[in-house]
Amino acid sequence: MTDVGGCFPRLFSLTDTVEGVFMSERKGAEKPRIGVFVCHCGTNIAGVINTEELVKYASKLPGVVVAKDYRFMCSDPGQNMIKEAIRDLNLNRVVVAACSPRLHEETFRRAVEEAGLNPFLFEMANIREHSSWVHMRQPKEALEKAKDLLRMAVAKVRNLEPLEVRKVPVKRSCVIIGGGIAGISAALDLADAGFEVHLVESTPSIGGRMAQLDKTFPTMDCSACILTPKMVMVARHPNIKLHAYSEVVNVDGYIGNFKVKILEKARYVKGDACTGCGLCADVCPVHVPNEFEMGLGARKAIYVPFPQAVPNTFTIDRDKCIECELCTKVCEAKAIDFNMQDREVEVEAGTIIVATGYDIFQPYEMYQYGYGKYENVITSLHLERLLSASGPTGGKVIVPSTGEKPKRIAFVQCVGSRDEHFFPYCSRVCCMYSLKHARQIKEKYPDAEVYIFFIDVRAFGKGYEEFYEIAAREYGVKIMRGKVAEIYEDPKTKKLLVRAEDSLIGEPIEMEFDMVVLAPAVKPSAGAEKIQQILKLSKSADGFFLEAHPKLRPVDTFSDGVFLAGMAQGPKDIPDAVAQAKGAAAGAAALMGKGEVAIEPYYAVVNEEICSGCKTCSGICPYGAISYNEDGRAVINSVLCKGCGACAAACPSNAIEPNHFKFRQVLEQIIAAFTE
Amino acid sequence: MSASQLIKKFDIDFTQEVIDYASKFFEDVENVRSCIQCATCTGSCPSGRETAWRVRKLIRQVQLGLKNAAIRNDVLWDCTTCYTCQERCPRLIPITDIVRAVRNIAVRNGFMLPRHVQVAGLMIKHGHAVPINDEVKAVRKEIGLSELPPTVHSYPDALGEVKKLLDETGFTKLVEEASKGVQK
Repeated sequence: MTDVGGCFPRLFSLTDTVEGVFMSERKGAEKPRIGVFVCHCGTNIAGVINTEELVKYASKLPGVVVAKDYRFMCSDPGQNMIKEAIRDLNLNRVVVAACSPRLHEETFRRAVEEAGLNPFLFEMANIREHSSWVHMRQPKEALEKAKDLLRMAVAKVRNLEPLEVRKVPVKRSCVIIGGGIAGISAALDLADAGFEVHLVESTPSIGGRMAQLDKTFPTMDCSACILTPKMVMVARHPNIKLHAYSEVVNVDGYIGNFKVKILEKARYVKGDACTGCGLCADVCPVHVPNEFEMGLGARKAIYVPFPQAVPNTFTIDRDKCIECELCTKVCEAKAIDFNMQDREVEVEAGTIIVATGYDIFQPYEMYQYGYGKYENVITSLHLERLLSASGPTGGKVIVPSTGEKPKRIAFVQCVGSRDEHFFPYCSRVCCMYSLKHARQIKEKYPDAEVYIFFIDVRAFGKGYEEFYEIAAREYGVKIMRGKVAEIYEDPKTKKLLVRAEDSLIGEPIEMEFDMVVLAPAVKPSAGAEKIQQILKLSKSADGFFLEAHPKLRPVDTFSDGVFLAGMAQGPKDIPDAVAQAKGAAAGAAALMGKGEVAIEPYYAVVNEEICSGCKTCSGICPYGAISYNEDGRAVINSVLCKGCGACAAACPSNAIEPNHFKFRQVLEQIIAAFTE
Repeated sequence: MSASQLIKKFDIDFTQEVIDYASKFFEDVENVRSCIQCATCTGSCPSGRETAWRVRKLIRQVQLGLKNAAIRNDVLWDCTTCYTCQERCPRLIPITDIVRAVRNIAVRNGFMLPRHVQVAGLMIKHGHAVPINDEVKAVRKEIGLSELPPTVHSYPDALGEVKKLLDETGFTKLVEEASKGVQK
């Protein structure tokens, strides 16, 4: 037990009393009168833990005036039980032993407050997630652990202090990072609701990946036809300020009051003057592979990525430009300005929506498929451009090596997805778009043989199963159950030998194809990394941004006031991305509409009399919340501070304590953990 | 016409038996439980293109607990242990390792191919899986080597030691037991 003191080696050992060592003496001489309430959670807790025993145990703990149990403490009768006990027995502290505070801390705090007690004189002991659920088969030990947890909670509640929730104003403005369909959708919703929106897009045009797609499943709507009207609305909306070819480079501030620095990269073409006539590109002598066409087509050094680009302003690619200035000569609007500089603007925002989208995995490392080595092995995004009427072939699907129409095409699913070597998750869009591609090819070339090699066809959305059925029934697409194992090219004919097993027949397959289309995994966009650091967001194991709760807070993040939309949070198709964008917009609108937000008072406080101004804390604070006053003492911005406690642990003179987690409160809890 | 192979029950301990046995020698064997039957393994299998060996099916048999189907099957011995399937398995299942483990379990249960019994018998008798014959002796002489290689063939005393080793490791007994199964 003596080792426990090791975490505070410079001051004391746990066997000493903590009295007098710390500043956080419990205020007032008021004697604690604690009520303990044990929840059965149906059978979730009571099915494992003997709650009767636990109540008996609790009633003997120091300071406990009453201990009771009930089937569902979170229900109205349960809450009323607590309220009545507070009034009748004049309780001044409450402990509920139930589930995780993440679920019901708010509920019980409100109940406690309604009974006239400060809501922070309440503590939860998590005997469900931390005991009954994880020790389902050891009821005896689970009871012992529940006793430990309860004893610790009672020790803590004895030392808690009343705290006040503070409110901060929320600016009626939102910065949306990413101008794909998710960002566009959220921007329009918020702008229509009367909020100011700054839409930041890193490429020259908004539209994102959806702009590259030819058609959309399952309705076969032309992607551009449903997207471009929204893009135009963004450009015209009086409440939206579009920052295209721009990047968010820094975010200061906090929920309700963010200060966002946006770098507007120099286009070398004046946005307000350019008419988008395209004369400049006609004369430009420099040809560059067009990123928008996945390198299949060319653009000029002065370009718009695609004809419907918004804004319809040309951009000069200075890495490729040879500065012949032919463009300057033909530009009637005098829009070209080779002296243009990058510009930084700062905007204020109450909320932020992150919609940074996705990239597709370039499967060079999957050597068995020969991508990048065999000319006729392409990705699905290449095929989208080949299918598009405005694409490099005018909508003609051709075999890359011959330029002829393909007679036999194979689609390969799960290229990198569902693969522990690469991306363990399902990319969620490939099954459906490959069925779509197969159908489109059969529409163009009814004689072509089209095969899809899959592990499982995941057609889970509305109208998807029907879409799948039609692909097989009406279009005669052959659906092969087995992942493609390897592809070899005949060096002379460039035809491809595909090896797999049809696992339903149980026999290996070796077939020749004119071309193979890979469905590579989707992954977070390259720019997401930087945004993560700027906004201090968390990522889930798959590398996408982590939502605050997978079910109940799916568009929120752990950074208050910051929301997620679209593929940035995880693989999803257009309907899901738009739905989530609308959710994010609603979340942001709720905050901005109310105009103020309550902040938990768990910030750290500095005892100026002890602080020596050594500045250890400010270097450690991950939220930039610490500055120094004219006397050199630390000052903590209570709104920026998240109460993580890093400063308190680092402070060599113990001059900083986070509210609700003061040394005394935590230490008494630790001591209780090691005393029977 | 062959009869239906109606499955009425799984040998539910077989999966764990394979995992426990294989884990003595190999890592991550428990991944076999997570196989999604994607068929990358069979599609990659050079032996499967020539023989009736279907590596995916063996993994399925291990996963479900079809012990008899797995160990009483002669094609189990058609895997060349090239490890291509194991390299490509998206669930990181040590497939080839598992094939080797199941083969061991098969032999321990008395299922060994007659030709393997024969080879093992030669090892026990001569200390060589492929003992020398007149033809090889002649070739050796012709290219200027001694007629016998410097192995137990040249040192008959050492043959006794090899036999002792095979006895001590239990190999002799294992083959003896398995050969009874083969005769059955």
